[in-house]
Amino acid sequence: MSSGRPHTVTVPRGYRIGRWEVGEPLGSGAFATVHAGRRVGEGPAGLPRRAALKVLPTGPRARGRRHHVRELAKREADFLSRLHSPRLIRMYETLTVDDPDHPDLDGATVLVLERAERSLDAVPRPVPSPGAVLRQICEALAHLHRAGWVHGDLKPANVLLMPDGSVRLADFHTAAELEGTHAWAPAFTTPDYTPPELLWPETDARGTRIRAGADVWAFGVLAHVVLAGSFPMPGGTVEARDDALTRYARGAEELRLSPELPQEWRDIVRDCLVPAHEHRVADAAALLRRVERAARTPRPRGWLRPVAVAAVLSALEIASSGLVYTTLGSGTPAAYSPPTCERPAVFEDATYGRAFTAGQNGTWDFTVRQGDGGGQVREVQCLLGHLHGISGPGHLHGTFDPPTRDAVITFQRRSGLPPTGTVDPATWHALRRARG
Amino acid sequence: MYSIIVVPPADASSAEQIRIATGEQLAFGRGEKAHGLTIAHEGVPRIAGEITAHRNFWLLTNRSEDQTYVVENPEGAGEHIKVAPGRTDAPVPFEFARVVLPAAGDLLTFDVWAPRHTFRSVTRHDVPGALTAPAFTLDRTRRYFAVLAALCEPRLRGEPHAPLPTVEQLVERLAPVWPTVSRSTVYWNIDYLALKLRLRPGPDTAQPTQRLNGKKESLVSLALRFDLVHEDDLVVLAAATGKARV
Repeated sequence: MSSGRPHTVTVPRGYRIGRWEVGEPLGSGAFATVHAGRRVGEGPAGLPRRAALKVLPTGPRARGRRHHVRELAKREADFLSRLHSPRLIRMYETLTVDDPDHPDLDGATVLVLERAERSLDAVPRPVPSPGAVLRQICEALAHLHRAGWVHGDLKPANVLLMPDGSVRLADFHTAAELEGTHAWAPAFTTPDYTPPELLWPETDARGTRIRAGADVWAFGVLAHVVLAGSFPMPGGTVEARDDALTRYARGAEELRLSPELPQEWRDIVRDCLVPAHEHRVADAAALLRRVERAARTPRPRGWLRPVAVAAVLSALEIASSGLVYTTLGSGTPAAYSPPTCERPAVFEDATYGRAFTAGQNGTWDFTVRQGDGGGQVREVQCLLGHLHGISGPGHLHGTFDPPTRDAVITFQRRSGLPPTGTVDPATWHALRRARG
Repeated sequence: MYSIIVVPPADASSAEQIRIATGEQLAFGRGEKAHGLTIAHEGVPRIAGEITAHRNFWLLTNRSEDQTYVVENPEGAGEHIKVAPGRTDAPVPFEFARVVLPAAGDLLTFDVWAPRHTFRSVTRHDVPGALTAPAFTLDRTRRYFAVLAALCEPRLRGEPHAPLPTVEQLVERLAPVWPTVSRSTVYWNIDYLALKLRLRPGPDTAQPTQRLNGKKESLVSLALRFDLVHEDDLVVLAAATGKARV
């Protein structure tokens, strides 16, 4: 084989690195192994008990591709120490192993990262709430692109699901900072997620030029995989799909998206998979609005149909919610407008029965707290403001700021819940049940 | 995005390399077609055959009535395949190939390269999903790899600013493992490496030596930066002598 032999190290269980004790291996990639980590030493406030320890063999006696691994480790550490967002995996500290008795380990770089539940790759298909997952990935990319970075290796294995169900983007060793319109990427690819312009790109001593549009392409592939369960390019092997991609990029073949792909996502995926990067959506920030709209379509999680309101609500509540469920005339079927932030509507949920949604997000158990952002937070703000009449959140910006927390506490007091300021499943139930 | 390069015979009217992409076809023969490889020899049929790029390899169709074509691997110590008359779409597995056409007592040849042959890691850990792969794939058993290793050797041995070996020094260094090496084969392999690693062409300079140095310099910094060659790989230079030069 050629230049791609993985040279990763496995760290024995119980091994101590700084204040961390190494546990079971969680995964292994081309350059690094990730182990569970348990904190045994004291640390600054905010340091969790459990973490993920990403070990990169960067020591002087590590075998194999150490120059390159060193560069990748530095890239990832740089990136994580500079960019913070609720959608990006958090790095707590970086450590260097000092252990001359273990030549493979001595000098290894250890990134102490937020511990996730699993990667999107490990989630059995179909992925639950796919819209919410994709929206959060797009939020992460949009944040990255706005900050002037390209991820460079977006794929399900690099999307992590947290214990509370939220999504974080991880693996930034290919991340590159844009210099004008493009950045230099370290010439690594995951073939199925690689845009045509990077299949056989020109290189120079700094690597390959990459644009934010490469992440947009990968997002299109990932959305197709998550929503339809298959790659957008036909073929049973990586090579066959690579071949199909080459033909598609040349204009010799049309793009045939899976019929499984929900209608509201078709145009988005198609626009992400425009072969010429000049004509593709430039970055994820330009895509986010549309992704949010598609993700908001209250289909997932069993929102089935609007419900005649009078059956559930008092006249007062109808007035305050502003729900429109008009009968246009005799014999005409009832028309309804989809729920909006200003006008939350009652829907039938397959699991929970009749409940309100503001159309921002369909969750019942996704815990959000101060510092979070996104659709779940907007849903909370809409329900608080426009269903329960608590005006605390002010404008509905989707960021869980202190005024939002105050509003949540007010609501929790009013509903007889513990005033934690955190929207947990019980709070969601109260918010949706409209017992404000 | 081409995957196959057809190099016309040296005496052809147009020496321009022809690049074809997967699914594309190139006819060759005596006929003067606008899109095709013309082999001007009386003994060659008007349409002698076709080359079809498929994924990262290629297929050879023999359209002659009675001549068997031979496809040699020039680096393969006599390794070759035979393509019988009338055979359609015979797959050719070589990265470098020389197509030999018998024509009225002469043997005519042209070369076909498949620089996109890919190599993937066999040792996969228990990782679910797609593995991130290096964007460069080199075949460590090929001569170009030995040339690259020899070019990088001084810097791999711990002299980061060592001057790069000259072509003469490379010939001398490679001779024990590659007895037929010559200046021109070294030049050829350097050019091929630049093509295979998709090196962006440097600024045009009038001086060919300067251009060659620029190319060597770019190759070495790319190879070292991305660890395409490491110390362990220097064994490809030591196979015959059994000891490494320091």
